[in-house]
Parts: sequence; C-alpha cells; structure tokens
Amino acid sequence: MNEFLTISFYGTAIVLMLIGLYAALAKKNLLKIVIGLSIIDSGLHLLFVAVGFISNGTAPIFSPEVLESAQQMVDPVPQALVLTAIVIGFATTAVALALVIRLYKHHNTAAIDEIKNLKW
Amino acid sequence: MVISPVQYIAIPLMAAFLIPLFGKLNKDLARIIPGLVLLYLSYISVVLMNQIISSNTIIVEIIAGWRPPWGINLVFSPLTGFLASMFSMLGFVIWMYTYNFKPEVDNAQKQKFYVLFMMLITGATGIVLTGDIFNLFVFLEITAISAYSLTAFYRERDGAEAAFKYLLIGSFSSTLILLAILLLYTQVGTLNMAEIALKMPGVDPFMKGVILILFFVGFGIESELFPLNGWSPDVYTQAPGPIGAIFAGMVVKAGIYGLVRVVFTLFDVKEILPLLVIIGMITMAVAEVIALRQGKLKRMLAYSSIGQMGLVAVAFGIGTHDSVFAAIFLMFNHAIIKGMLFLSGTYLVYNSTEKTLDDVDGIGKHLPFTSFLFALGALAIVGMPPFAGFWSKLYLLMAAADVRLMTVIAIILVVSVIEIVYYFRVIHRIYFRERISTIELKIPSFNAKLAMFILAIIIVAVGVYPDLISGFIERATTDLLDKQSYIQSVLSVGLK
Repeated sequence: MNEFLTISFYGTAIVLMLIGLYAALAKKNLLKIVIGLSIIDSGLHLLFVAVGFISNGTAPIFSPEVLESAQQMVDPVPQALVLTAIVIGFATTAVALALVIRLYKHHNTAAIDEIKNLKW
Repeated sequence: MVISPVQYIAIPLMAAFLIPLFGKLNKDLARIIPGLVLLYLSYISVVLMNQIISSNTIIVEIIAGWRPPWGINLVFSPLTGFLASMFSMLGFVIWMYTYNFKPEVDNAQKQKFYVLFMMLITGATGIVLTGDIFNLFVFLEITAISAYSLTAFYRERDGAEAAFKYLLIGSFSSTLILLAILLLYTQVGTLNMAEIALKMPGVDPFMKGVILILFFVGFGIESELFPLNGWSPDVYTQAPGPIGAIFAGMVVKAGIYGLVRVVFTLFDVKEILPLLVIIGMITMAVAEVIALRQGKLKRMLAYSSIGQMGLVAVAFGIGTHDSVFAAIFLMFNHAIIKGMLFLSGTYLVYNSTEKTLDDVDGIGKHLPFTSFLFALGALAIVGMPPFAGFWSKLYLLMAAADVRLMTVIAIILVVSVIEIVYYFRVIHRIYFRERISTIELKIPSFNAKLAMFILAIIIVAVGVYPDLISGFIERATTDLLDKQSYIQSVLSVGLK
C-alpha cells in the first residue's frame, strides 16, 4: 500500500510534466502555452515533495517525543526548496501573462501562428 | 561600514525596491541611486580583490550564522571576484550611458528600467558569488525574469514577441536546471557546491551522466550555445540598446559561468570537455556565417556575440590551464568590446526604425566620435593588434596548438576571416560611402560619450599592456582548476 502511494506520487508528477510539455509545445494559443508551462512547474514541484516523502513519516520538527524517531521524519529540504520554486514559478507566470496581454493588444490575436513579425 | 561580499547582493536588491519610493520624492533621485550603488559596488570590488590577491586567500561569507554545508555561503575567490567586479564596473559604465538615454521616455518608465536593471545586476552577481546550487538557480531566475521584462521594455517595438520567445525557452531551461538540482540532491543529499564536489566520485555514473546533460542543456540555453540560442538574436534586436550590452556582458557571462562551475568543480568529468569543444565550434561557425548574411546592425552584433560565446566554450573545452586562461580573458574582452559595440552601434541607428546596415552609410562624417569608437570596437573584436581582442585570440590559438588540435585552430582562423569580412563591411559603409538616408541623426549626450570612451580606453590599454589584467586572470584560472582548494576553503570556514 505504501509502495503504491510512493509510485503514484512519482507517476502523477511525471504525467503532469508530460501533459504540460505537450500543452506548451503543441498548443497554438498563447494562454494555453502559459498554462502548459505552469503545469510543468506543478509536476516538478510535486516531484520535489515526493522525493522527500517517507510513508508514515512525521513532520520534521524536533520535540522530545520524536527525538528517537528522527529516521521517520520527512526530509524538510525539498519542502523548503519547493516553496521557493513555487514563488519563482508564480513570478514567471505573471511575467508571461503580462507579455500575453501586450502581445494580444499589439496583434489583436492570441494565436501564436499569426504573430510573426520576428522569425521563429 | 564593514565591507563584505554580501553587499553585492543586498545593496542593489534594496536599491531596486527603494527606487520607486525615492522616485516619488524627487524624479532625478531614481536615476542617480543606481549610479551610486554601482559606484559603491565597484569600490568594494577593488578593496576585496586587493584583499584576496595580496593575502592569497578566498573570502567565504557565512550567511545567517549557518556555516557550510548547512547554510548558504558566498564565495569571493579570484574567479568569482573577478567576474563580480567586472559586472559591477561594466554596470556602472552602462548606467552612465543610460543616464540621459532617450530623454523623451517618461519618468515612470525610467524608474521601471532602473528597478529591472538593479535586479539584473543582483541576479548576475549572485550567480557567480553563491556557493549553493539551489541559490544559484534562484539568482538565475532573478536574472531571467528581469531580462524578460527588459526585452519587452519598448511598447512600440516587437519586444513582447522576443520576450515571450525568450521566456518559453528560458523557462524550459530553468525547468531542466531545477530537475538536475533535484536529481543531484537525491544522489548526494546536499546543496552546497563544495560538498557536492566532495561527494561526487561516489555517485552512480549513469545518474551522473543524466544530471550533467540536464545542467548542460539548461545552462547552454542561457549561454547562447548552439542549437539552443534561437532566442538571442531577437532579444538583442528588440531590447533597448544598452540592454544589449548588459546581455552580452552579464547575462550570458553568468550563464557560461554556471556551466563551467558545474563541469569543472561539481562534476570534474573530463569526458564532457570534447563535447564542449564540438558544440562551441558548431556554435561559432554557424553563428558567424549567419552574421555575414544579416542586413540589420543589431542582429549582426547578436550573431557575432553568439559566435564569441562559441569561442569561449571551445576555450573552456580544451581544458588545459592555458586554454582556460584564454577563455576567461575572452569573457572579459567580449564583455567590454561587445558592450562598446552595442553602446556605440545604438547611436549609429538611433532614429531608424528598421536599423538596417544601409542606415550607417557615410555616417562617419556626421557622427565622427561614435563612428570612430564603433570602428575601434570592430577592429578589437576581430582580434587586430594592438587591441584587447588580439591577445585573447592569440592565447587561445597557442593553447590549442599546445595540445595539437589543428582542426580547432583551422576553424577559428577561418571563422576569424568571416568575422573580419562582416565587420569591415560595416566600417567600409561608415567611412567610404555617401550618406543617402534622410533619417535624423542623434548626437550622443556627454555622459554617453564618456561611457563609450572609458570602454575604448580599457580596450586600448589592455591591448597595449595585457599585463594589466593577466595577473588577475591567471589567479582566476588557477582558482577554477584547483577544485581541492575550493572544497577545502569552503568547508573549513567556521570550524574552530
């Protein structure tokens, strides 16, 4: 059962990243591409948390009761990293959306095929 | 006030957030503050470089009292210090240039420009100074996000399109780097670069390969290596002129630093180096041939910049002491020379909308000072003596000859001829054609002239006396190649 949990974490993370990659590469709408990028990020964040996960683990806070069971704590480092990564992903998405708005105003379309002033 | 490397990050970051506030008090203050910040950073660069060179140590700054490998640490060594000093000083010169640039742009826009400029300085300097791999990623993202926004700075151009393209490729790159960091963490259980380097020999070779390829592709995108450089020509073309100088001098330099730090210190795998040589050569050859066909000035400079980064990659890839020396010398030269070409080239095509090469015809009579500096930069970058570019190319060719890489030498020489052709074509247009274009010319303001002049002085001075700079580069080379002393000095900090 626990093994199943771990595998499903990793599986979901990888599937999410692939879905995001598909959206970012195959979709023609700027907004959908940004959503795709954001899904890739979510998948990666889930992967981070999954790496530090121990089934039946406790929160990584030291207190007299859990001192003996430090082996059973989930790894706090990936959790700290993922918080930072979420903020960075948020900032990137915000900039991307701002650019999409600018592009839409400039070209009056959100289809990436029709925005071709520069060579792609 | 105590001088410490942490100020490289803290002060510009604080300035970035204070600029809008000060801008409310006095609109000139928002423009002056970045200059003061960069002047102070240049000053601490001089002091700290002096300190590490004279006492032959490196400064490891512990942050928040957690000594390495637990906390984040900053490493100010001859290599990282050299690059950080270069970024600060180049930043100051570029600030001087931008002070009166485009007076018609309104004040709120200028404030945004300087906020992003300060963020970019923070990020680029942070990348080279940090001793923690995840921290490096965070600084890379700070640099990238400010770079995306600066690319889209002008509303009337196609900046948003170039920036979106850059953002797509850039976020792909950052995903790969983040994934690499995660895999690395699962293998070694630490994020401190010195400790990673220490534990690396025990890692499974297969995982090592996967992680290295992820890092390679991720940083390759940032440092314009073929075939991952599709973003850069458009970004250079659409971004404001001085930002081109910042990209060439800082953003891609920080990218290649990341790649080199990972390859040389973290992994120390000699097998990847030939790959770096091959990719560098392809980058160089393809970019220079495309540059030959460009009809737009900035696009030509952008491809030339890619070509130069290819040359740097080749030099790092050869991997001997001499070639790494040449590589760091090339990085320095490319930063100042390409910086000057972008700064002077911007005024040559200032009011033109298309910015084609036709616009520079006969401009030598009308803008003598700027044209002269552009020509000087062009001669310097193709490697004519007595300019700075000559020495780095000569050292690289000598280093390649030492290890009998005749193909590399042949390709570098052929590519140099191509470079000469397209740069001399521009010089020919500037001086020996009649001006037919009716676009109104813009005379550079005094501070812009001064900024370009300072860079020109450095180019000539380093060209005539390469010893001015070679001592620092020699130390930086030794620092990069001596992995053991890096690990030793970082991990022994705070042990009493």
